[in-house]
Amino acid sequence: MPDTPAVSVNHLTKVFKGTLVKGAFRAVQDLSLTVKAGEVYGLIGPNGSGKSTTMKVILGLLKPTEGDTSIFGVPSSEVASRSDVGFLPENPYFYKHLNGRETLHFYGSLCGMRGAKLKERASEMLALTGLEDAATRRVGGYSKGMLQRLGLAQALIHEPRLLVLDEPTAGVDPAGSRKIRDLIIEFRSRGITVLVTSHLLEQMQEVCDRVGIMAHGRMVREGRLEDLIAVENQTEMVIENASPALLAQIDALVKATGGDTRLLRSGHPRTTLERLFLEATNEAKKS
Amino acid sequence: MSDATTSSAVTKTPKVRFSPQRVWTMAMATVTQLIRMKILAFLVLFCLLAVGAGFAFSVINPEQQLSLLKSVTLGALQIFSIVIGVVSTALLLPKDLEDRTLYTILSKPVPRFDYLLGKLIGVLMLIGGGLIVMDAVLSLILWMRQSLLFDEAVDHLRMEKMDSAEAVTQMREIVARQGLTWNLHWAVWAIFLKATVVTTVALLLSSIASSTLFTIVITFCVTIIGHGEALIREFFFTPNLSGMTGRTAALMLAAICPDLAQFDIVDSVVNGEIVPWAAVLNMTSLAAIYVTVYMFITHLVFAEKEL
Repeated sequence: MPDTPAVSVNHLTKVFKGTLVKGAFRAVQDLSLTVKAGEVYGLIGPNGSGKSTTMKVILGLLKPTEGDTSIFGVPSSEVASRSDVGFLPENPYFYKHLNGRETLHFYGSLCGMRGAKLKERASEMLALTGLEDAATRRVGGYSKGMLQRLGLAQALIHEPRLLVLDEPTAGVDPAGSRKIRDLIIEFRSRGITVLVTSHLLEQMQEVCDRVGIMAHGRMVREGRLEDLIAVENQTEMVIENASPALLAQIDALVKATGGDTRLLRSGHPRTTLERLFLEATNEAKKS
Repeated sequence: MSDATTSSAVTKTPKVRFSPQRVWTMAMATVTQLIRMKILAFLVLFCLLAVGAGFAFSVINPEQQLSLLKSVTLGALQIFSIVIGVVSTALLLPKDLEDRTLYTILSKPVPRFDYLLGKLIGVLMLIGGGLIVMDAVLSLILWMRQSLLFDEAVDHLRMEKMDSAEAVTQMREIVARQGLTWNLHWAVWAIFLKATVVTTVALLLSSIASSTLFTIVITFCVTIIGHGEALIREFFFTPNLSGMTGRTAALMLAAICPDLAQFDIVDSVVNGEIVPWAAVLNMTSLAAIYVTVYMFITHLVFAEKEL
């Protein structure tokens, strides 16, 4: 049976209609990407590059001008495509009059959950996101980090196979940010597919299996993180127990030296995702 | 937490259909939200003040006093049920969009129609709840007041030595006609129906416009025009009164705006007239038609709305 990707975006173009004052705005241009089931896919790009628009089209909140998107093979235009998705928007707000537990019950009920199963699942999600102590507090009094974690809990309440996270660490302190990063790693270990955008490139580097870099509505780089950050025209040598003299003549001597000195590995040294991101987005600006 | 299915085989995802449970969840969340915004308390407080005002004016006879009490209270209920319906509806949708709560709701398997219907039912439950409370309070006050006024009137007749059995019976009939009858409940029902129609119009405008103020202003304009549908029709059907443009504009207004005068039975109730069952049935059917049509258009607009 053929593999169905968790997310499929085919030649997506999104143009926002203009007004009398402003002309039409092309937010996404001929974008194609695939997120395989079980992987963590990072969509990165500068502000206004079309990441959030792409996510909204995938979730059926916006309609594509051209192209199509689907979730686990179901077109995004169908409500059923959202059965397997949990979404955390950037800087989420929830009904302030509800407490944390009531919020999860509300979202669970919308997904058709009820009774003991819903209560049990809500408690489980509160424990997973570390909000047990704040479960009976009004959401209006939650900190930014707590809101993000509650957002993750509501996204997971109906046991989705895909999580879509839009800037999950935006405005969160380093400790809260690390907690969210750890949760993403845990989701992957549980087989949940994650599509995530973030400006924190170091964190993306830690959690993503594959990344796509967007600039000006287009995909400018995409692939496995390991492949993308490899520098093709350089060679890296990692040598064990090397003396300073050996380092000077390394190429000539390493094979002849023998003994305890060994050439353990040779390959491509890595740049950082951050540098790659800046290079890629600058290239797009020049072209 | 159970592990997610990583199997990427094509799985048949069942279609998501209309769900009364989901609509109820949305409606209850809306009611809770509005109650915690102290909107119901405001309605009840104002109407109690209106009841108090009903006693504040000098009156000539018991009939006038009961009529005045009903007139002031029902008038206040009418205005405030419409104000609360319009303002609540105009606030709720843009607020959900601004707070991104709408994103988290509609990114779940929630059809947009379920969301809209839940919001509408939530606002109507709040208005209906407030009207039921006020109906009960007004009924109690009218019943107590009518007993008291009847006793006072009989005492007065006795003092003037006019307390014949015939005069007392006549006085009882007069007081009873203006006192607590089923007509009072029908008047409250008509107020609810009118508020329902106006709230649905507000929901339609709210789904089109992104500005709360625009929705409120235009809905009130529609409400005012809706009370003058008879005038518009007269304008349209009277020959030589206006040119083609004016007649077309009148026709469009008549088609767009609901005929709210059809729900105006409060004056009849205040005057002690009996409201026939057929009139109640007609009003209810008309409200149902308006709500169905406006909700259908709202759904068409909201289904295409870019969020």
